[in-house]
Amino acid sequence: MTAIPASAGAFPAARRFGAVLPLLRGLLALAAVLVAVELIILAFGIRPYVLPRPSMVLEAILRTPAAYRDAILRTGTEVLLGFGAGALFGVWIGVAFSRLRFLRETVFPIFIVSQTIPVIAFGALVVMWFGNTILAKAVIVFYLTFFPVTVNTLLGMRTVDQKQVQLMQSFGASDAVIMRKLRFPTALPHIFVALRIASALGLSGAVVGEWFGDTTGLGVLLLQGMYAENMVAIWAAILCAAALGIAFFSAIGWAEKRIVFWGGETA
Amino acid sequence: MMTRPQTDFTAAEAAMTEPAEPILDLRNLSKTFGEVQAIKGVDLKVQPGEFVTVVGPSGCGKSTLFNIVSGLEEPDSGSVLRFEGRSVMARDLLGNVSFMPQRDLLLAWRNVIDNAILPLEIEGANRAEARKEAERMLPEFGLAGFAKQYPHELSGGMRQRVALMRTFMFKRDLMLLDEPFGALDALTRTMMQRWLLDVWQKHRRTVLFITHDVDEAIFLGDRVLVMTARPGAIKLERKVDLPRPRNADLVTSPEFIALKRDLLDAIEEESMKTFGPSSH
Repeated sequence: MTAIPASAGAFPAARRFGAVLPLLRGLLALAAVLVAVELIILAFGIRPYVLPRPSMVLEAILRTPAAYRDAILRTGTEVLLGFGAGALFGVWIGVAFSRLRFLRETVFPIFIVSQTIPVIAFGALVVMWFGNTILAKAVIVFYLTFFPVTVNTLLGMRTVDQKQVQLMQSFGASDAVIMRKLRFPTALPHIFVALRIASALGLSGAVVGEWFGDTTGLGVLLLQGMYAENMVAIWAAILCAAALGIAFFSAIGWAEKRIVFWGGETA
Repeated sequence: MMTRPQTDFTAAEAAMTEPAEPILDLRNLSKTFGEVQAIKGVDLKVQPGEFVTVVGPSGCGKSTLFNIVSGLEEPDSGSVLRFEGRSVMARDLLGNVSFMPQRDLLLAWRNVIDNAILPLEIEGANRAEARKEAERMLPEFGLAGFAKQYPHELSGGMRQRVALMRTFMFKRDLMLLDEPFGALDALTRTMMQRWLLDVWQKHRRTVLFITHDVDEAIFLGDRVLVMTARPGAIKLERKVDLPRPRNADLVTSPEFIALKRDLLDAIEEESMKTFGPSSH
């Protein structure tokens, strides 16, 4: 599937700066919340093993930055692999479903049933099949990712304006051309909604996947913190997971702004 | 399949085919959707280069007529559809008639130029050349300097001009325009009508133009057809013997007003069939 033609290239610099502004504002808000939490903990004398101060958590991360960096890289790679494959497969199968009614009526129900099985139930199985590898976690992430993407691709294709289809037909366009030049771009805003949901799901999948056995990763850090009853370490892992999640989410948001620049609905 | 129609009709060719063979010839054209008969026994001949306007009460099957002629729908059996001297199925017309629907239907992710070249792209033309050609046409369509704008950045009138430009870039001898100015305010509409005549006189395509505005029908057309209430058929046909180029003050001339009265009477009679009996 080709991307949107040369349209995303010409952005005024002002708008590019405008995209950075909300990010700065978000960081500022986050800092404010952390400071507030810090002050509340100090004011009420909350014990560190109930809720450690944010400064203690940050300090813990800064004391052994390599461990956290490796964990973020490891979990991030798992998510990237699974998410990338899941997104591609989801779009591809969504397009196939929208084109082939037979497939939609036979295979799609199986997909829906497959999603009712909790991923945890699969976790043990996946580890048996793929071992304690990065691939095992990527498969779990993939499993969580492709479904929302498939559903939204299918849904997005259905929102296409029938009059636009007829216009393309009157120009002599084939079904394949209509798919590429009309249906797929129409579905893109819906696909991006699914990608955002899928990125959050995928991250939880990767973290949970690591609980089935691994030596690095954010899930592993969480488990270690729990076994050691180290509240600061747990919060440090949570903070890193949050940072990773936000990074994925904003990366998708950034791509969405550039690719679906027209804002979705036909104005 | 038909060969691609020639863009230019040379004088010699025109002389040879005298008396000109109609580019479009509909005989006894009918279309039924389930229980509802949308059009019934439409007979219509359109000569090359002619500007024919069609008016009628709402719901009279005008759009059905256009959908058939643009190839999107097959008429009922027994209908005869002839295009450029050959008997054809409606679907043979897909890709051979340039069709402009009521709404502009621009693609939101394409700028003005890329929307305009859409039909050329579908034909497999070289994109760079198509863009160059479109660039050259922009001023004529009042879009100079707007090449890189996206549809959401344009006014309704401009969007409609982009849609018209797209229709013109799809170089087919027969153009179908379905109420292209219906959604525009009165002032913009008048400007667009005059502008359309200018462009038409330059390009000399055959135009079949649907409208519900009688003034518009007379102002633009060589011939005005009035359709009956559903099931739609041709009720009245009037030649418009007004000189071209036509100016805005034409609409107040006695000939114009006389013609308008005749046409309005016919439309009124048809509208009464739809709304009449129960409203008294």
